[in-house]
Amino acid sequence: MVASIVPQFVPAFYSSMYTTALYGGLIVAFIGLIGIAMEKRDIQVLILTDIVGLAMLIVVAAVGTDLSEALILPGLVVELAEIMAISEILISREMRKKDVHTSFAPMPLNIDMEIMTTAPNFIALLLIGYGVFLSGFTGGAVAGGGIVIYVLSRKVRGLPIVVLDGVGAISGISWCLWIIGFLFFFILPQYWLLSLFLAALGLLLKVASKIGLIGILMREEYGRK
Amino acid sequence: MLIENLGGNVMGTIPLGDIVLYLNPLHIFLFVTILVFTALIAISRTETQVESMFGSLDENKVSVGKKEFKQRRFLSVICGIATAGAMITGDLFNFTLFMALIGIVNIGIVSAVKQVDVLNSAYQYGLIAMMCGLPLFGGAAMILAATGTLSLFELASIPASPMMIFGALVMLIGVCGESGIAPFFASKAEMFRTPGSPFILIIHLSSLFIIVRFVEILLTIL
Repeated sequence: MVASIVPQFVPAFYSSMYTTALYGGLIVAFIGLIGIAMEKRDIQVLILTDIVGLAMLIVVAAVGTDLSEALILPGLVVELAEIMAISEILISREMRKKDVHTSFAPMPLNIDMEIMTTAPNFIALLLIGYGVFLSGFTGGAVAGGGIVIYVLSRKVRGLPIVVLDGVGAISGISWCLWIIGFLFFFILPQYWLLSLFLAALGLLLKVASKIGLIGILMREEYGRK
Repeated sequence: MLIENLGGNVMGTIPLGDIVLYLNPLHIFLFVTILVFTALIAISRTETQVESMFGSLDENKVSVGKKEFKQRRFLSVICGIATAGAMITGDLFNFTLFMALIGIVNIGIVSAVKQVDVLNSAYQYGLIAMMCGLPLFGGAAMILAATGTLSLFELASIPASPMMIFGALVMLIGVCGESGIAPFFASKAEMFRTPGSPFILIIHLSSLFIIVRFVEILLTIL
């Protein structure tokens, strides 16, 4: 990085790290490219390509300003979108080759684990309770994991699963809660506690219901065959 | 090079905070052309491909289903809008993002076809596009590190340093890969061998326009 554009308060040690990080990123990318050149199976090549994408994040993050952070976020999203699009193409190509409609359930069908039959409801309740206590994004993920365990355990024990068609709607409404909480921060700053809780609980419900949706989608994937 | 010399006189700037759009005749011409083409494909219907059979007088018609047609038209319009955005933008950051969006949408346009070899080439093109995300974003980050800005208007007035030239060349590799031109062309050419023109044509047209614009950007900032 050119010394003249780095502000004075940045220690020389940090600004000298830029070249190291840049070379580090390029070396990671080179290792990934060697792997791609040697590997012949399509799915492995796709996974190795992601290493090159990660190297891109390193190179961009090496700059370390807020503008480079703004470049990282879309870069990450682009990488994810591309890897999803390409894997989708790979799946449809394999389906065309075989000419059968195979189920692409991501889970093995026979989950023979003791944890699924002893106390799954308690674990699920514990996870949901802890998620509500945490609130926010992390809490949503934990509570969603609880919902997934509950759905999975009922499936393993062969019990019927209650179909929750409104889960998507919960997600949408709680998204609105989050937006309202965010707006309150700006227009009514004196109610910051209310808006904080609105945002935290909205995000909790949103993420939890999103992960719960994964469980329901899995069930639909089983039901299809 | 001075910004006024390339693509005609600057007709004015649109200051939007940090992002300063500037207009000159070249940009406006490219922008309007791609928008006209986008409007044309938005109202057009897809063709039916006719293949003559070998050894007989029969012919094999390959047509596109309605659902696939609608999806393809939607993605083509998105691709056209993204290309138009890349034409008019005055910011290297936005150009990078539009370029990446065009790369994804190009894969999406052919993702629903039935021919296995077209899907195969789309897969190869997708891999190249993902790998070229590194030089594309990395080159932009190097230019940012060398100059501290990504606005083309300011980059034009900053004298080129070796770091900046290196970043611009790396970014050129990235743009070549994402749009699938010369060294990476073989996989992308196979993607056109499917019914669905004129939607397939936007893949080709967008890469042509992107290259014209990127050469102009390179000449401006170096």
